[in-house]
Amino acid sequence: MPVEIPKDSWPGSVNTVTLGATGDQGGSRTSTVTIGGEQSLPFMHFENPTPHRPVIAMEVAAARPADWSAVLLEAWGSTLDDPAVWARACEDAGADLIVLQFGLKGSDDGPVSAEFAVEVVKEVMDSTGLPLVVLGPGQAEIDNSILVPIADATKGERIVLGLCEEGNYRTIVAAAMANDHLVLGKTPMDVNLAKQLNILMTDMGLPLDRIVMDPTTGALGYGIEYGYSVMERLRLAALQGDAMTQLPMLVTPGVETWKTKESKVGAGIPDEWGEWAERGVNWETLTAVALIEAGADVVVLRHPQSLVRVRAAIAELTASETA
Amino acid sequence: MALSGIQIYKMLPQTNCKECGFATCLAFAMKLAAKQAELDGCPYVTEESKAALAESATPPIRLVTLKGKAGEAKAGNEVVLFRHEKTFYNRPGVFIRVLDTEDDEVIENKVRTGSSYSVDYVGMELRIDGFAVEAASGDRTRLATVVEALRASTGLPLILVGSDPAVLSGGLDKLEGEAPLIMGADTSNWEAMADLAAGRGAALGIRGGSIEELAQLSEKIKEKGVEDLVLYPAVDSMSASLALNTQIRRLALKNFRPLGYPTIAFAAASGDQGRESLMAAQAICKYAGFVVIDTFAPELIYPLLVLRENIFTDPQKPIQVLPALYEINSPGRSDPVLVTTNFSITYFSVANEVEGAGLPAWLLVTDAEGMSVLTAWAAGKFDAESIAKAVKQFGVADKVDQKWIVLPGHTAVLSGELEEELPDWVIKVGPREAVDLPGYMRQVLN
Amino acid sequence: MSRYIATRAIRGANALVGEAEAMLEQALSEKGPDTPVAFPNTAYHLPVIFGMTGKEIAHLGELPEILVQARSLLHPTPSREHWTPYLGETLDSGMATLLAAETIEAIRYVYGLQPESMPGFELAGGTSFTSPDMNGGGNQPPNGHLNGAIDDIQLRSWGIQLVDGRMPGFAAIVGCASSNEAAVQIVRELQRRNILCFLSGNVNGHSIIDQLHEEGVELGYDTYTVPFGTDTISAIYALGFATRSALTFGGLKGGQPREILNYNKDRVFAFVLALGEVDDLKYSAAAGAINFGFPVIADTVIPQILPTGITTYEHVVSMPWNEIDGANDTEKAERLVQKCIEVRGVKVRVANVPVPVPYGSAFEGEVVRKADMRAEFGGRDSRCFEYLKMAKLDELTDGKIEVIGRGLSDVPDQGSMDMAILIEVAGRQMEQDFEPVLERQIHYFVNGASGIQHIGQRDITWIRLSTKAAEAGFDMEHFGKILHARFHSDFGAIVDKVQVTIITEPEEVEARLEEARAAYDFRNKRLADLTDTAVDEFYSCTLCQSFAPNHVCIVSPERLGLCGAYNWLDCKASFSINPTGPNQPIKLGRIIDPVRGYWEGTNAYARIGSHGVVEEVAMYSIMENPMTACGCFECIMMLIPEANGVMVVSREDTSMTPAGMTFSTLAGMAGGGIQTPGVMGVGKYYLISPKFISADGGFKRVVWMSSVLKDGMAEELKMVAEREGDAELIDRVADERSVTTVEELLPWLEENGHPALTMDPII
Repeated sequence: MPVEIPKDSWPGSVNTVTLGATGDQGGSRTSTVTIGGEQSLPFMHFENPTPHRPVIAMEVAAARPADWSAVLLEAWGSTLDDPAVWARACEDAGADLIVLQFGLKGSDDGPVSAEFAVEVVKEVMDSTGLPLVVLGPGQAEIDNSILVPIADATKGERIVLGLCEEGNYRTIVAAAMANDHLVLGKTPMDVNLAKQLNILMTDMGLPLDRIVMDPTTGALGYGIEYGYSVMERLRLAALQGDAMTQLPMLVTPGVETWKTKESKVGAGIPDEWGEWAERGVNWETLTAVALIEAGADVVVLRHPQSLVRVRAAIAELTASETA
Repeated sequence: MALSGIQIYKMLPQTNCKECGFATCLAFAMKLAAKQAELDGCPYVTEESKAALAESATPPIRLVTLKGKAGEAKAGNEVVLFRHEKTFYNRPGVFIRVLDTEDDEVIENKVRTGSSYSVDYVGMELRIDGFAVEAASGDRTRLATVVEALRASTGLPLILVGSDPAVLSGGLDKLEGEAPLIMGADTSNWEAMADLAAGRGAALGIRGGSIEELAQLSEKIKEKGVEDLVLYPAVDSMSASLALNTQIRRLALKNFRPLGYPTIAFAAASGDQGRESLMAAQAICKYAGFVVIDTFAPELIYPLLVLRENIFTDPQKPIQVLPALYEINSPGRSDPVLVTTNFSITYFSVANEVEGAGLPAWLLVTDAEGMSVLTAWAAGKFDAESIAKAVKQFGVADKVDQKWIVLPGHTAVLSGELEEELPDWVIKVGPREAVDLPGYMRQVLN
Repeated sequence: MSRYIATRAIRGANALVGEAEAMLEQALSEKGPDTPVAFPNTAYHLPVIFGMTGKEIAHLGELPEILVQARSLLHPTPSREHWTPYLGETLDSGMATLLAAETIEAIRYVYGLQPESMPGFELAGGTSFTSPDMNGGGNQPPNGHLNGAIDDIQLRSWGIQLVDGRMPGFAAIVGCASSNEAAVQIVRELQRRNILCFLSGNVNGHSIIDQLHEEGVELGYDTYTVPFGTDTISAIYALGFATRSALTFGGLKGGQPREILNYNKDRVFAFVLALGEVDDLKYSAAAGAINFGFPVIADTVIPQILPTGITTYEHVVSMPWNEIDGANDTEKAERLVQKCIEVRGVKVRVANVPVPVPYGSAFEGEVVRKADMRAEFGGRDSRCFEYLKMAKLDELTDGKIEVIGRGLSDVPDQGSMDMAILIEVAGRQMEQDFEPVLERQIHYFVNGASGIQHIGQRDITWIRLSTKAAEAGFDMEHFGKILHARFHSDFGAIVDKVQVTIITEPEEVEARLEEARAAYDFRNKRLADLTDTAVDEFYSCTLCQSFAPNHVCIVSPERLGLCGAYNWLDCKASFSINPTGPNQPIKLGRIIDPVRGYWEGTNAYARIGSHGVVEEVAMYSIMENPMTACGCFECIMMLIPEANGVMVVSREDTSMTPAGMTFSTLAGMAGGGIQTPGVMGVGKYYLISPKFISADGGFKRVVWMSSVLKDGMAEELKMVAEREGDAELIDRVADERSVTTVEELLPWLEENGHPALTMDPII
């Protein structure tokens, strides 16, 4: 029986965004990462090939994380003490990108400072050739105080600076524009808020091919369904031609997963939860893969084993000859 | 063009007899229009109307129910491609596969732990739905023995997997009065399989590598009188499986009847548990009606069941947690009482922040019908009265000496009324966002 | 455009281009064409020339072509007899002036004449001038000269603050103030508002830089006051700064003059403050600034150019110093700066609410009990009302707070006093229709202060002040301070000036109360007159799309949002405040069907807003293409075909309805953004609208409604009954007290003579 395969033909597509710049391009990265460009829903190869596979970013903390799960501490060992070593280890493990996350603390437990931040960024850039996403601690004033000098000190590297939120996007966008960087906009799980921030950011003159958006997700069991549906809706809107939703999406299953009790805690929990480390990795990988199938272009992970599994899944999903 | 409830109503008897289970004919008509009811529910509908309504009133994906001795697993009746468009209705059944070539003890152990497994997730008991028994031995008697042994340990619905109808019938002999799934029919054995399924009242799985093959087989088998069908897109990679499942769902929703059945996925991946978990996760998100896995390990089953719960939550009926007084980090008599609503995400954000910061606190969760703080406040479901009621209901005053209760910042406006309701308490107004709670607790509450 | 200004600007430009040509000719012969030219420490070459022409000038020999271009922009002065349009000519002359001025400064750098030397002068903070060849080496303190051009490092630091709004704008001050004291006060006023000051120019050889220097005011990067030079030509550095802002932060490139000028007009809130006599050169430089959208405010008598065009508001405004209302230079300076801010549309932020008690939303719900009370206003023993009205911009002094009558100290402990809170607001975007929307905010704003309790609104306002707050120093004027600060911070988009008068004098309260009541009545009437046919746009509301992704509320004057929280005026105000927000205007366009309520605009919006799920929306029908719902509806309506009418159940009503379903079951059917003919979620005040399902027969179709609605809206429903011509109509509608099933409903309706039974079939 001949059956006509129902193919969607969409008028819109996702923006193509290149992260990082090599020596020839005004930066110092050994490789760049290009994301976006989708003309179909994720992995519908019978309609269109996936132009750029989803990529995996590994999170590196600028100062040794004080509150990470013991499972992660064990997995990474002493590399956690030095962000440069850690970033290198991520590259060796097969990461596509490094997300360098600053907290409120700088060196010697003092508050994070511009000098410290610039220093760490430079060390990390010396130790890895991967493109970088650099995130402030998430408090507008502190973010501005470190991201602006970082942007100045790394002009031309096409770093992704974040987080741009409604309260502080102007400063970060201005710093990105002045130094040929990209920005990451983050809005709380809402299609319209995401659009609104994108309108505001592009309104400042920042070209769409320099913005990545984080629509915010919850971890498995902790609101993943909201993030999942918001992402599906954003992607559908993008394909339908709504320019302010056509940004590639970055989401953070690692951050979300490893703050849940299921991943973080190993004692005093029900037997039905099973073995701790494997559960944590499952929690992170299931979250990541569900979000990749909802349209994520970048997933930020924490556990090295998760990197291996998610990378394998991405490879399988993007292998078009089997479709 | 789908008919509206009013258009359907015009074709119904309009007697409000209630035999369909709905209070009025209009209510039934609206459910039909939403494809959440079947026309068969109305005993008095005329043949004329039946014909006119058939197209509009049949759910595009047939509801298939597997029945065991205890419990059933339903799949189908889905009406959308994306959960946000309406909701996904029937949670895909999670089945654990055993091989009849495995040792009795291994099987027994797997089945016993699996069928008694139950995990609490926000007050819900999550369980697996049944077992798949694969007739790997090719031996009718062996299969019968294994199924019989299995039935001694569990009453959950079963799927019998094999390609020889004669072998499978041995297992079916032991499942009198049940509705298992036979998995399944292919181009070589479909007639015999169809006869077997028809004879035993079982649902029949169809195995095919392409939509054409699946559609062709389903049409032929349907002609033989078997209507409870399940499609198995038998492809290897995650990408091919995603593509086939999507195509089947899309065609079914376009009322292409030969593919209007639930699908089944086999996530087993020869010992690679990482891959198995991700295959299963994809199947849950993308359209499978039944998911079969090999590994029974709590650290895998728990996240899979939670994923299923999350994806199949009605977007308009948020998951709720039980209203109660929750303890975070073993609070003592001088620790503060934080109050919030029973919307699961609200609860989790608050609980996670406080727990993550290692700060002890009592978390009082009120019954706000699953709404977030602001929504519940706006709807009058989170007010001074309901908070005071919860304080009394859960005996909060007996648990603490220092009577400090912290309101969510967005509802600062309640503080005055709450003082009236709880005269012995000190009412504090906390931050608006959960993320600011640890800082607030450290600075203000110390 | 004033012919006078055109004449002077064109004349000034002609002269300056001539001067530049002469200087360049001399420099070329003395130094040679290969002599490098540059401003210090910038990657943007000669920035105005680079921005406007795309030319990367590096040597003297490349400058002649710039002056050729400048000359080509010159025009003859307007004829006295035959007036031709001359706005374009004047702007061209302004541009020619800028190109010539930058050429001249570049040549002066070649000769070491820039930065301008000023013996004994010390710059506060760094300097852009670091060449070791001059002034004794780079490590020496920056003494003996002015600043000259701004370097790129400072540009980035200030540019980011200008872009992100921390710095509201910059003032290019040119000339010399009427007195040293005036100069100091003007600069202080600008600094107080965080506005950057660029100083240049002179009048008869005396510069504002001299004035400030004489008064001991520190000038330099550190104090946000940059002395460029004592002639008008050095003002070019201000426009070089503006051009580089656009290049750096606007993602623009050299040779995009139009984009650079527009960027500055839209985003760089700068203005020119011309102090003292305005000569030809100043006119032509001002014309140059107007190209950037920077208006000119002069403190002398000059012709004004008030119509809007190149700049956002007025182009040239004259505000003669001696005519400014003010007791002293400080007050005059404040008014002058206020005017500058107003003309350029600079938005000033008020960071904190200046009251002696803690302030924040955490205190919104506080109750002040009688025992803790210092005084109350309103309630049983006194009168209190609040009234906000719109005024013209020039009628108000922003931040002025006046208390008329007794103060708090005159009130006995736990006593009460009459009080009127009168708020006048003015703003370019303010509309009279926004008055009630803003007035409603007073409640929240006042409540934010710890120790203050605010209840009610309009003339039933009741405010209590706690003893603790009074002890902390809270007095009557602080109500004004709160309101001033909050209206600026929350409604800055539509409010530019806020002035508050607190009246406690009983007779005055009485008099003003009448005025306020007249206004309340007027507003009520205005609301009643505000019909769907009286407007040409409705508003969308997508606030709830996070719940129901494909749902769009369309809010019209006669149909409020289904949540009951947003009416048409609210949406309109919300759009003005937040133009990219959830409330967008829907242009109605052609009316397709006035009975059911179809417009081209509403249908088109429904399609877009619902992402193609909803094709058409009938504004006035439940039976055909009814509006979808999110889930927030106050009431659900459902068709009762047996009774030839509809029922309305309130969210607060949990009992069974004749539809055989309770509110919560019905909600699943009505919500989710799916069009379900026969079911609709609505705001309860839609029930009393003349457009209430008017296509289906209107209110007479209501056969059953929750008693909570009947009781809660008794007054309003009575009026509906009268409008429908049946005073008993509401009594003919069943409710859950009498009927909970459809079987009971029919006989009940017959008994009570409900009109729906005899109306045309609804299906």
